[in-house]
Amino acid sequence: MSMRATIELEGLQVQLGGRTILDRLTGALPGRSIGLLGPNGSGKSTLINTLLGFYAPVSGTARVLGLDICTGAAELRSLVGYMPENDAFIASMTGVHFVRYMAEISGLPPEEAMERAHEAFFYVGLGEARYRKLGTYSLGMKQLTKLAQAIAHGPRLLVLDEPTNGMDPPARKRMIELIREIRDAGEICLLLSSHLLRDVEETCDEVLILRNGRIAALCNLEEERRADRKFLEMETVGADGDFTSALEKLGCECAAYGSGRVKLVMPESVEIRELYRVAAEQGVQIRRMNHRRDSLEDIFLNAMEQTGAVNGRI
Amino acid sequence: MAVYKRSYKAYHGPLTPRRSRFLVLTRYAAGDLFQSRFFVALLFFCMLPVLLGAGFIYIANSETAQAILKLGKQSFLLVDARFFCNLLIAQAWLALLLTSWVGPVLVAGDLADGALPLFLSRPFSRTEYVLGKIAVLGALLSAVTWVPLLLLFVLQAGLAKGSWLWPNLWMAGAILLTSWMWIAVLSAVALALSAWVKWRIVATGVTYALFFVPAGFGEAFNAVMRTNWGRLLNLPYLFRVVTYDRFHLPLDFFQSFSNRAIPAAAAWLTLLLVCVLALAILNRRLRAREVVRG
Repeated sequence: MSMRATIELEGLQVQLGGRTILDRLTGALPGRSIGLLGPNGSGKSTLINTLLGFYAPVSGTARVLGLDICTGAAELRSLVGYMPENDAFIASMTGVHFVRYMAEISGLPPEEAMERAHEAFFYVGLGEARYRKLGTYSLGMKQLTKLAQAIAHGPRLLVLDEPTNGMDPPARKRMIELIREIRDAGEICLLLSSHLLRDVEETCDEVLILRNGRIAALCNLEEERRADRKFLEMETVGADGDFTSALEKLGCECAAYGSGRVKLVMPESVEIRELYRVAAEQGVQIRRMNHRRDSLEDIFLNAMEQTGAVNGRI
Repeated sequence: MAVYKRSYKAYHGPLTPRRSRFLVLTRYAAGDLFQSRFFVALLFFCMLPVLLGAGFIYIANSETAQAILKLGKQSFLLVDARFFCNLLIAQAWLALLLTSWVGPVLVAGDLADGALPLFLSRPFSRTEYVLGKIAVLGALLSAVTWVPLLLLFVLQAGLAKGSWLWPNLWMAGAILLTSWMWIAVLSAVALALSAWVKWRIVATGVTYALFFVPAGFGEAFNAVMRTNWGRLLNLPYLFRVVTYDRFHLPLDFFQSFSNRAIPAAAAWLTLLLVCVLALAILNRRLRAREVVRG
């Protein structure tokens, strides 16, 4: 049985104020926890807002949990819990009153909404502060309240836009733990947008990297982790195209960067001493050599250097 | 998701019907309003003319009361179209007072702290949002306009001797029509201003300014251009025109300070236009995300 992707993008194009913000995004994201990465202005929040129906695409479409964002927007929103990036609360309300209000708007009967609001507040760790007015909350507490209102009605997809914004390290750690706990409960899919690589790396199993409104990389982190691909990172003097060609003849996968940096994945049959031999033959000095794994940072930096869609692997 | 378990659990329970979900907004907004003692006092104050009207109707229909008060057969003790028309106009002014207090908090509170995306990311449209908010004003303004006036109408019908009801039944229609028109204007304008101006005090000030400042400009325009069309900018005046028209009363009051009143159709059209403009502003302002052009 084929599993339907959590998010499917079909030539999704969005223009705002006469500028193209999302440029014909196409791809399928089957993961249960999807990270959206990209520098500021790359279109992460616009993509989330479009998926939520706040912006209408000029062409193309997208499907979330199998529902078209244009034709099934209302049904889709009943399955979504949204934690926006910016402040979003009603300052004059107490925390629990606010979350209950939001749960009722999502369709929960008043008694159920009240119960779930209390539970959500305890769950995010604000149980003791739930009768305080939201206007008196600290930034971290407001973030947790936004999370509480996003989960109180029990959505199937939780959309988190920069959830750790403005949080101090302990609060950030708590937020990441909560997100992982929600993910691991297995009843909910995650879409998390962040410009912090660590947040995405710690909570997501799939990453969509955006750059200038285009897909720069689509990477399954879970597969990367499972593949456990080690590579060698070399700093050399004098490495050029001939050197990498010679390494490739040995069966290595090679990529050369500026300043004599070379990354390569070696087949098991090749030993390190052969690299030294090739370097000696080519007149290349190897100054440093490290074994490393592909980190999200590598994938991200690579995506930022390249243009067009790639599979995200170095 | 029990409190003691502290782990995430999805919700699989029953849901409320979608069609009536906008009433959640109405309920919460009304709940917040009634927590204010000032608001409750204001609401009571708005009922005073109606209570006085009820007393007047009782005295007008009770010979015993007239004898006790030694009024005899006085010509002013008449409950007719002018009585209901004047009472409705008085209530309309009080409705404006109530709107200036209630209106600014309805939308501004949600916009000031960016709560609107939370509403609109749920199965809840902008129309339902406006409906939920406008229903608060609709209910409150109804409570000080057509509802008490119709109750007075019923009281008069009950106390009057003979067949008073049938020849005067058209007045009930006039009360309903003009009240709802004024409620629509006040609600739409108040919500639009609340969405436009996010600070309560400023929004209250702008509400009053909108009803009185253009009227001043209109009169200046009339004086310069030797016309009376400048009164189209005077919303309370327009309400008087349509109310007098619906109650089949002569516009003699206006003749005293103007050569002639503007036609009732023009007044209706202008009030309708004000509603449309206010809704257009609401449509522009009530968006989950603002788009900055350029």
